[in-house]
Amino acid sequence: MGAIGTGALYWTHYIAISLIALGLIGFLIRRNAVVVLMCLELMLQGVNLLFLEASVRTGTPDGILMVVLIITVGAAEAAVGLGIILNLFRLKGTVELDAFRSLQG
Amino acid sequence: MSPNEWMIAGMGIFVLVCAVAVIFSRSPIYGAFGLVLCFFGMAGLFLAWSSPFLAMIQVLISTGAVVVLFVFVVMLLNLGHGSGGGVAGWVTVLFASGGIWTLSLVLLRALNRSPFYPAPSGAQGAGGLRAFSKLLFTDYLWPFEVLSVFLLAVVVATYVVARPEAGNVARKENR
Repeated sequence: MGAIGTGALYWTHYIAISLIALGLIGFLIRRNAVVVLMCLELMLQGVNLLFLEASVRTGTPDGILMVVLIITVGAAEAAVGLGIILNLFRLKGTVELDAFRSLQG
Repeated sequence: MSPNEWMIAGMGIFVLVCAVAVIFSRSPIYGAFGLVLCFFGMAGLFLAWSSPFLAMIQVLISTGAVVVLFVFVVMLLNLGHGSGGGVAGWVTVLFASGGIWTLSLVLLRALNRSPFYPAPSGAQGAGGLRAFSKLLFTDYLWPFEVLSVFLLAVVVATYVVARPEAGNVARKENR
């Protein structure tokens, strides 16, 4: 691949941080537990992009390694989260987060 | 602008549009489709950042495993139309969006002026797969091994949490 100019670096910052912000907004405003987990994945992707950009920019493979570790942990987190959602659905018959108020006291 | 920068800009816009589609999806299954497209866009961004290995990993694991898991759960729970779960009240939406975008702007400014970045004339590449593997099995051997044990724990934990009896026990205790 050809050289990447400095303009692309700043765009990557915009893209990554917008992705994190969008994921966080979705995480806060959505009520469906499955969609909330999807928003978590979106945030992880934004972080991945920042790590990759820093790695390429400094010329060291450490950031790429972090991306691989993050992808692994993200997949594991999705598996456990969806297992919990399955159980919650059996318990209450819905995945609406507003329905789960047992710990509210 | 070089072709690479065009690709980064185009893929970035595509990824962001797909992310918005995920957030405002009426049904979780549309959200999962948006997530697939978003992950493919991210793979394109990884390619543009000259790391084809990461792009491949992204397509294999994120698209192939994670989203398939989401689709399975949506199908298993039969979450069709009318179960989208809606969005919180507009006051929450307004304040959450405003606060988070302000925070992001601060973060962006800090990032763009960070002394951590030497402001290079161009990226020099991250050293390729050989350097990556060497690092993985020397300096990062301990995190790698911890992660493998962690994955084993996740397999067991997922089974324990999601097995049918777990729901019955919880329901009995709830009564």
